Amino acid sequence: MKTQARSNNLWLDAFKRLVRNRMSMLALIIIVLIVLMAIFGPLLSPYDYTRQDLLNTNQGPSLEHWFGTDELGRDMFSRILWGARTALAVAFISQGISFGLGILLGSIAAYSGGWVDNAIMRFADILMSFPHLLLAIFVSATIRQPILKSFYGVYDRTGWDIFRNTVFIDYFIVFGALAAAGWPWAARLIRGQILSLREQDFVAAAQALGARHWQIIRAHLVPNAIGPIIVSFTAGFGDAMLAESSLSYLGIGIRPPGASWGAMISESLIGWRLHPHLVAVPGLVLAICVFAFNLFGDGLNDALNPRSKVR
Amino acid sequence: MLQYFIKRIAQLVPTVLGVIFITFSLGYFGPGDPLKHQLGERLPSDPAQLERLRKHYGLDRPFHVQFSSYIGKLARGDMGISIVVQSKRPIRDMLGKALRTSVQLGGAAALIIFVLGIPLGILAAYRKNTWLDYVIVSLAALLPTVPPFVLAPLLLILFVLQLKLLPASFGWAGLFDSRAILPLIILVIGPMLIVVRQTRNSIIEALTQDYVRTARSKGVLEHKVLSRHVLKNAMIPVLTSMGFIISGLLTGSLFVESIFGIPGFGKLIYDGLRAYDYPLILGTTLVGTLIILASNLLVDLLYPFFDPRVQFG
Repeated sequence: MKTQARSNNLWLDAFKRLVRNRMSMLALIIIVLIVLMAIFGPLLSPYDYTRQDLLNTNQGPSLEHWFGTDELGRDMFSRILWGARTALAVAFISQGISFGLGILLGSIAAYSGGWVDNAIMRFADILMSFPHLLLAIFVSATIRQPILKSFYGVYDRTGWDIFRNTVFIDYFIVFGALAAAGWPWAARLIRGQILSLREQDFVAAAQALGARHWQIIRAHLVPNAIGPIIVSFTAGFGDAMLAESSLSYLGIGIRPPGASWGAMISESLIGWRLHPHLVAVPGLVLAICVFAFNLFGDGLNDALNPRSKVR
Repeated sequence: MLQYFIKRIAQLVPTVLGVIFITFSLGYFGPGDPLKHQLGERLPSDPAQLERLRKHYGLDRPFHVQFSSYIGKLARGDMGISIVVQSKRPIRDMLGKALRTSVQLGGAAALIIFVLGIPLGILAAYRKNTWLDYVIVSLAALLPTVPPFVLAPLLLILFVLQLKLLPASFGWAGLFDSRAILPLIILVIGPMLIVVRQTRNSIIEALTQDYVRTARSKGVLEHKVLSRHVLKNAMIPVLTSMGFIISGLLTGSLFVESIFGIPGFGKLIYDGLRAYDYPLILGTTLVGTLIILASNLLVDLLYPFFDPRVQFG
């Protein structure tokens, strides 16, 4: 290894490696654009994304409608902007739930050991033996009725309209389905991290010096485990977006009037021959987004684990 | 070796039971009254009659009794009947018919993936850092992330509308029909590029090993170095990815078969979802998962032939 100016900050080093990686910077630019689109796009969108204009359906791209209009005359550009919000919000929240559950159950498993560890990890293993999308599909088909029923119950008691809002309910079903299929992977990662870190000399040293449990967790476990967690969260982000659009494509995710790129593709697929742009635009946008997140996840992985790089 | 096989198969039993248990209990607690699903609008409104029906179908029995009877039925291949998609038809028959189509399609896809993917990976590894390698590596980074329901319309637009190379073709008339070309391309392209990348990386890795240098310094011909030393070691990670590839093919077939109207397993899942045919959804989930478990087992059983160290593990 060449002698370098030594820096004490691991995070700064990782950040420098990340910035030097041109592909991940490109991915980061795309991601920032998508995030801005998701946050501000709906405010700037030229039309209401649910407004139908039956006199101007299936139009090609024009100055008034940049991406044309769909089969109900809705402005495609506005729907794409709203779709960005759906895709990002669902991916972020469902990844958040998966990792929240994973951190909770993974650390319980690692700390209690014995039969608790066995029970949690065996359950996780069995869930991981389902094909990911198939499990998400099955869970979403299963929880739809119970969720509908309980939400209507809440509506009856409170009178809050949001509990009858089908798009709001769809969001919860997708969160449930993606979290059910996603948490075992997070739990396995976190359990493994905790178990291997506990074997490290610096933890043994801290214990020997009389450090308390939570001190070890705060000073050693969290800072060391956070890198792999961030990498796996980012790497899984693109997959979560894909899973949302797949469920929506299949008609069991976010359904109209909500805007999802997956649902937009499936609605326009019948007319692919006459109006190819209606399928191509949401498809390309989805593909570019997922690609950007995967690329950035790879770059982050290389930056945080410089030794793992294969080349 | 035999001991290893028996051990691997025995390890699978609790997992299979766990998978059945999870699908059954989700179905038991989840979607509401199974009678309502079976009978739909013909559900009798008279409570006494409803009670008799529950007794008739054994739905009044406690959970564990129902579960063991479900296992017994599964062992005989009985997975209940479809309610909506093909009313009253046994799901077993529907699955059998669909799988015959999907196995052809998926088998052909898997064959193409490995027969084309591995040589392309070797080529990229030996031409490392040339334009050919860059093209292959960038495609392998880009295309596997594109979902089939995006790839399918884009390729339809490209091949049918723009280039006019293929007729717009939907339906299924066997594997050796022009209508199978586009679905196969869409199924194959992502997983194949994963195999290419995997092969390339593990061959580059293997080429740096000492045993390769030793073999070369002893004057072993390069193609023999490749076939005897490099390939055998480099294939282990590729073999590991096989389970993942088959899982991808299964999920991919869901989209490809529904888009192209191919009456296979994926189409069956799709139809079940669209019609909310819960017994069918349950049956396809279960069988899909068992297929993946079986293919993972197959990979495990193939390991010792590639890596002699495994059988002691």
